[in-house]
Amino acid sequence: MKISKKLLALIVVISGIVGFFVVLPVHYVLEETSTDRFCGVCHEMDPMVISYQKDIHAGSGAIGVKAKCVDCHLPHDNLAKYVYQKAVNGIVEGYIHFFGDPDSINWVANLKNKEHYVFDNGCMSCHTNILDTTASSQQAQKMHAHYVKLQGSDKELKCVSCHVGVGHAHDMRNQLEYWKPSYKIYENKMLEQKIKSKQEFFKDEYEPTKQEREFLEKNVKKPANSH
Amino acid sequence: MEKMSRRDLLKMSMVGASALALGSINSNADTIKSNEVKFDEEYDVVIIGTGFAGSMAALQALKRGLKVALIEKMGRAGGNSVINVGNMAVPNNAFQKAEGIKDSKELFIADCLKDGVNLNHVDLLSVIYDRANEAFEYLKSTVGVEFVPKCISASGHSIKRAVQVKVASGSGYIQPMHKMIEANPNAIIKKRTKFDEFVMEGDRVVGIKCRENYKFDSSLASDDLENTGGDVKYIKAKNGVILAAGGFSSDKWFRAQQVPYLKTNIETVSQPGATAGALLAAMDVGANPLLLSWIQLNPYTNPTEKGFGTSAVFTNHCSNDYGLSINPKTGKRFMNEHAGRKIKCDAIFKVMAEGANNDNYPVNICDQAAVDLNNPLYTSKGVESGSIKKFNTLEELAKAYNIPVEPFLKTVSDFNGYVKAEKDPEFGKPLKQADVHGIDVSKPPFYASLSTPKILYCMGGIQINEKAQVISRKTQKPIAGLYAAGEVTGGIQGGGRLGTMSMSDCMVFGMIAGENI
Amino acid sequence: MKRLALLLLSLVTCFSFVFGDTKSAETNSTKIVMSDELKAKYKLKPHHEHLAFDCIDCHANQGDDPSKFKNIKDEGCLSCHGTKKLLAQRLKFMDTLKANPHNSVHDGPTLYCDECHFEHKPSINMCSECHEHEVPQWMGVTP
Repeated sequence: MKISKKLLALIVVISGIVGFFVVLPVHYVLEETSTDRFCGVCHEMDPMVISYQKDIHAGSGAIGVKAKCVDCHLPHDNLAKYVYQKAVNGIVEGYIHFFGDPDSINWVANLKNKEHYVFDNGCMSCHTNILDTTASSQQAQKMHAHYVKLQGSDKELKCVSCHVGVGHAHDMRNQLEYWKPSYKIYENKMLEQKIKSKQEFFKDEYEPTKQEREFLEKNVKKPANSH
Repeated sequence: MEKMSRRDLLKMSMVGASALALGSINSNADTIKSNEVKFDEEYDVVIIGTGFAGSMAALQALKRGLKVALIEKMGRAGGNSVINVGNMAVPNNAFQKAEGIKDSKELFIADCLKDGVNLNHVDLLSVIYDRANEAFEYLKSTVGVEFVPKCISASGHSIKRAVQVKVASGSGYIQPMHKMIEANPNAIIKKRTKFDEFVMEGDRVVGIKCRENYKFDSSLASDDLENTGGDVKYIKAKNGVILAAGGFSSDKWFRAQQVPYLKTNIETVSQPGATAGALLAAMDVGANPLLLSWIQLNPYTNPTEKGFGTSAVFTNHCSNDYGLSINPKTGKRFMNEHAGRKIKCDAIFKVMAEGANNDNYPVNICDQAAVDLNNPLYTSKGVESGSIKKFNTLEELAKAYNIPVEPFLKTVSDFNGYVKAEKDPEFGKPLKQADVHGIDVSKPPFYASLSTPKILYCMGGIQINEKAQVISRKTQKPIAGLYAAGEVTGGIQGGGRLGTMSMSDCMVFGMIAGENI
Repeated sequence: MKRLALLLLSLVTCFSFVFGDTKSAETNSTKIVMSDELKAKYKLKPHHEHLAFDCIDCHANQGDDPSKFKNIKDEGCLSCHGTKKLLAQRLKFMDTLKANPHNSVHDGPTLYCDECHFEHKPSINMCSECHEHEVPQWMGVTP
């Protein structure tokens, strides 16, 4: 059967229009839900976002390249997996945020599961040549060779197996402790640091919680540095 | 590991022997001669120890353009100086003047002689009085040590004359001092390097034998004797050597020979590297030992904790000032809880000896009113960590410490009667209204801590003169090329050191050694 | 703030990019076979075990007789772990009590790694020499 040129043109135009109105919003939604601002909407993500902002991956490098949360925390080997994982995360995390108890999550203990939450293909999609380059130090080359050697074995490593503080400026543990100390003795001693972190990050938009406001008010009366 | 030479073996047995042969003439026959060794490195000045005295000496020598090596046995720089409290007696300091407190040499020396039981070398005390303020000003202005801008009182001083570092640790001095030393290209700090012996040229000290890559082993009964690790190096000291190696509080064998009742389960608040090795090496080349048996103990420390611990300030200021100390075997008091350190230590040792393992530790108790009168941190830290226990009733307290209840309750009620009468007929503790504000042991909850004396400071050491030169017992004159400062020296503190006086001693004589070498 | 960010940035850059500066290429003549006996004798820490390290990953250029291997010293540890300042930064929250073991009030970031951390035997906590009762409240078991 021969399709007339007119029909072909019509199909192209219609699918173009449909595609435009489908893909664009999908793309828009995917993009908009991938920024640190979006992730930080849930306040339990503050320590993660604040520590990320201090890292070179947040775009503070000389050439200004910036990695978004999803660039590391979602798989990048194929689009279907990416979208699927994103949807699962969205549902699970959204559910926990609205109906669960995010305050009960022991984030510090979760740090040891880092290999599960960071995807090497995300790292490699920017650091494409990192395993082969001879421009890195001898030690880095030696260790990256070790990584390559173990690929496919039962001892397979992930990038974050070694690069433990990457993406969060080695500061995520500190921020988590400021929000919720793991040791009892630090309770009531971290609030000041937490407020400082939030003020630096949110600047004019900083809204203190009730507890933070009380602390700030109390400390206005007492001059700082008094002995 | 390096093989031991016959000389080393000989030296090891001599370490013990020379200690026993105190006061006898040593012929120097056994010392290393400079023509027998090849020096690996050469400096103008070699300093043994990186605490207050050694660091101050280094800064003064560097100021004169000299090349300086600091030798530190431990992996941690600063010895006891980085774990002390950081308060320093400074007669005539600016804060003292600002507060209108008048100091005088007579008063200063009288204070020192009182606790020093008249054994102090007054000529050296006089030097400290004259120059402590200069050292303090140098630390404040040139080194950048940050002080709390006020004058504080310290035990044994009749007036306020001490200064306090902001971080409340001696590290507040050592860190900026070492920063300055390390920034100077003429200086090197060699950690994990063990000083073994002096190298002599005739009667002059011209260098040292030491071991690099040395790792102190606190699991050994005597690291000085048993640890043969490290690589031997000979270091030449053109101008001489300054010995600033500290005291021997952690040297179990040596201190027990000086003071036989310092049994092995008696601990120290000093760092584990505080051994007698360097002092003995100085005695081997003729240094004159003074007052080695005068070892200061702290009666407030806790046997269930290592080091100074969390309950000592409570025991001192809460239970001993406003409560009482009980012999758990009898349920009775055994001393004036307000007596001096030495008297209390002796009394506690007697009580401890009633235990099968020298472990019948006294129980120090007080009530809530005594706790409330003091800084809350004195008690809360110990309660949190378990070194101080809290009880709702005296019966519970007695049970917890195996104290016979009836005699104990009678002791407390007698004591409360004494407080009411403002007089202690048993032990003479001052109980006037002005002394204890009518506080007895009646307001629950009740608090209790164990106590045992721990070794705090060695007043004894080798003799120096006003120029920090080490005096020879063979010639009664200075040993050429050998200087010393700080706790390794003896005589300055007499038989009892006042609070905050060790820092003045270290800083002033460290400064003088660095100026003169 | 800007300077702090720059400092952090340079620290992180050093860590991620340089990843140590040992120039030693691997020259051990023969491979050491990791027998069960060797593994039992020279146990690795769990986190290093997880990284599947061989003897020579740390003891490079030290021959092939494990009994003659030397301490790799601070330089060895820091060839992967960056700098002592970075290690202190990672536990900065402990500064609130001046109890950061890598930046304590007494020593700052100056201690040797093997004052506390050992690879083939249990680590210790030097703070416990004096703060025995407080250490468990301040921090976990020394890794």
